[in-house]
Amino acid sequence: MASATRRSTSNLIAQAKSTGRTILTEVESKRVLQEAGIPVVAAELAGTPEEAIRVARKNGFPVALKIVSPEIPHKSDVGGVKLGLASEAEVAAAFQEIITAVKQRQPNANIEGVSVQKMAPDGIEVIIGMSMDRQFGPVLMFGLGGIFVEVLKDVAFRIVPLEPRDAREMIRELKAFAVLEGVRGQPGADLGALEEMLLTVSSFVEEHPEIEELDLNPVFAYQNGAVAVDARIILS
Amino acid sequence: MASSDVSDPSVVARLDSAFNPRTIAVVGDKRAMGYMWLRCMSTFGGKLYSVQVDPNEISGIEELGVPNYKSLLEVPDEIDYVVCAVPRQVSPRIIADCIEKKVGAVALFTSGFAETETPECIAAQEQITQMARDAGLLLIGPNCMGIYNRRLGVRHSGDQEAGDAGNVAFISQSGTHCINFSLFGAVHGIKCSKTVSYGNAVVLDAPDYIEYFAQDPETEVIALYIEGVKDGPRFLRSLKAAASRKPVVVWKGGVTTAGSRAVYSHTASLAAEPAVWEGAMQQAGVVQTQSLDETVDAVKALVYAGRPAGTRMGLIAMTGGQSVVITDAFEREGLEVPLLTAKSYEKLAAFFNIIGGSYRNPLDAGGTIGMGFVPANLEKLFEILEEDENVDAVAMEVGASFIARRLRDNPAMLQQMVDTLAGHKSRSAKPFIAIAHPGHVEDVMSEMRRKLLERGVATFTSFQAAAKAMARAIRYWRFRDGGE
Repeated sequence: MASATRRSTSNLIAQAKSTGRTILTEVESKRVLQEAGIPVVAAELAGTPEEAIRVARKNGFPVALKIVSPEIPHKSDVGGVKLGLASEAEVAAAFQEIITAVKQRQPNANIEGVSVQKMAPDGIEVIIGMSMDRQFGPVLMFGLGGIFVEVLKDVAFRIVPLEPRDAREMIRELKAFAVLEGVRGQPGADLGALEEMLLTVSSFVEEHPEIEELDLNPVFAYQNGAVAVDARIILS
Repeated sequence: MASSDVSDPSVVARLDSAFNPRTIAVVGDKRAMGYMWLRCMSTFGGKLYSVQVDPNEISGIEELGVPNYKSLLEVPDEIDYVVCAVPRQVSPRIIADCIEKKVGAVALFTSGFAETETPECIAAQEQITQMARDAGLLLIGPNCMGIYNRRLGVRHSGDQEAGDAGNVAFISQSGTHCINFSLFGAVHGIKCSKTVSYGNAVVLDAPDYIEYFAQDPETEVIALYIEGVKDGPRFLRSLKAAASRKPVVVWKGGVTTAGSRAVYSHTASLAAEPAVWEGAMQQAGVVQTQSLDETVDAVKALVYAGRPAGTRMGLIAMTGGQSVVITDAFEREGLEVPLLTAKSYEKLAAFFNIIGGSYRNPLDAGGTIGMGFVPANLEKLFEILEEDENVDAVAMEVGASFIARRLRDNPAMLQQMVDTLAGHKSRSAKPFIAIAHPGHVEDVMSEMRRKLLERGVATFTSFQAAAKAMARAIRYWRFRDGGE
């Protein structure tokens, strides 16, 4: 079972590499991550509004639609993201709007289609990232989403491979750790689930040295469990 | 070889003979340097040889009583350790001789290699690196000061102490910091077992020395000054393994952007992102410091203070103002200053002078213990804190101004106070440290510090330094015990 999982993961990565691509799309990234045991909000590729509606009906409303193109890493910048679509009509309209907007703003981008995923309930936003350090090799980063990472640079780093203690510590050494414990009546995050996610990502990147960069941003952390809402993998 | 292999046991064994040499050869020492290397080795009890071809230099060398040879190959003895100070252009020939002679290790003092960033110098570094690697020669440096072994009198500075053994190893990319640690450390009661300045690290790199000192029975604490590493994962593995056996203190240079530029022109190594570095060190379970003073203080706490059961401090200060500030200092570093037990308060109430004092913790005890000169009351305080189950470790202020005044009348009181503090330390199961701020009487306080350190009481020059060092030591022991 485990080896079968690894084989299909490697296949997706190998496939992308064989076509000369270094960026896996969100749909591909999430499949690869899911197979590695990392909880993600699954995204399916739709080529037409009808396909998008079929996926939405299967998985349940409301859904999010996002442009799928290896040339577009920042999807919302080009009008490629529509959230909270609650009906079939909304999905069909959003599909067209996304395609029109992207074609207008990035006419040369190769569009594979639109990804459809169920809207995840709001949670505490965290970020898990992996990048290559020229001295230490793969390094994992953990931080709280939004201003905590961007403005306050409140992030923790550990070198791959992580041990359980490392995962525990990098969560707790954030200045904003109290947010994860729950503040002002807000429920806290499932710290155990976040620790497990960090450890699984660590073993995943250890098994795949061809991964140059990985972003789970955002990850929604709940009282029970945590899930990657968006994901991106870059190969070397 | 060494720098890429993981834990090659033969490197450790061969380094051991270089760090504990029976024979040393100094190649290329000269009058212009004041025969610095041969003078450094004047304290060495083993056999010392010189290699020098210049007839103008040889007479000066022979005046020092050191036998000179024209070539390393002519020395009629096996050589455990070579210091090579020849010009860069000559160094490949000496490296070839070291290989042929099968010496234990060679430290290349010669600089002007990759750190100068010129193609010619980089090529010269590559040449000697290749020669040494191909032959399995243990090359320390280039651009380094090599080994100091205090017990054997193998020195790289004429100011270094020699003769008795020490227990702290220092590994340094920089020669200056290596020498300064041994000298400044000695003033603060730290005796080095062995140190090494390893410069550009072309063959032997930090992990080789870390692995060596981790297993060296003489070394109880390892400290490092490091600017950059070549094989990060191996460095991390060696640190982690060492820190699980003995305390390791890592002082990182080149943390800022301009600092990391300076790192390259110094030892030709690349520096990691500061936040990544910090995470990596946390992961390895080592103590992190930012200066020579912090490094010496952390080592002092690790060597002398002992291992506390927790983070709760019992504090003794001489006045109200000092009580406030000593408490801030320890709390700011993440240590606790808890209330004492009811039983302790009962005992304190029986004799504590509360006029101008208080005993909640901190103990504002100047009046009660006559600024430290009423030993009986001071001993009572120590006993109470020793028995108090809310207290894991004790720190005490030795008040400079009061001491200076009293000592003017009775110089013998200094020794009496040292005896009281050292006596407590020797009986106590809890860590005990002292703070002796130099104030306006630096000479008196440095004598106080020296005497206390001689008796095994870690003595610091400020509350902040003491608190920081204590917090770092406690964090180390907790991490090693599996805590956070």
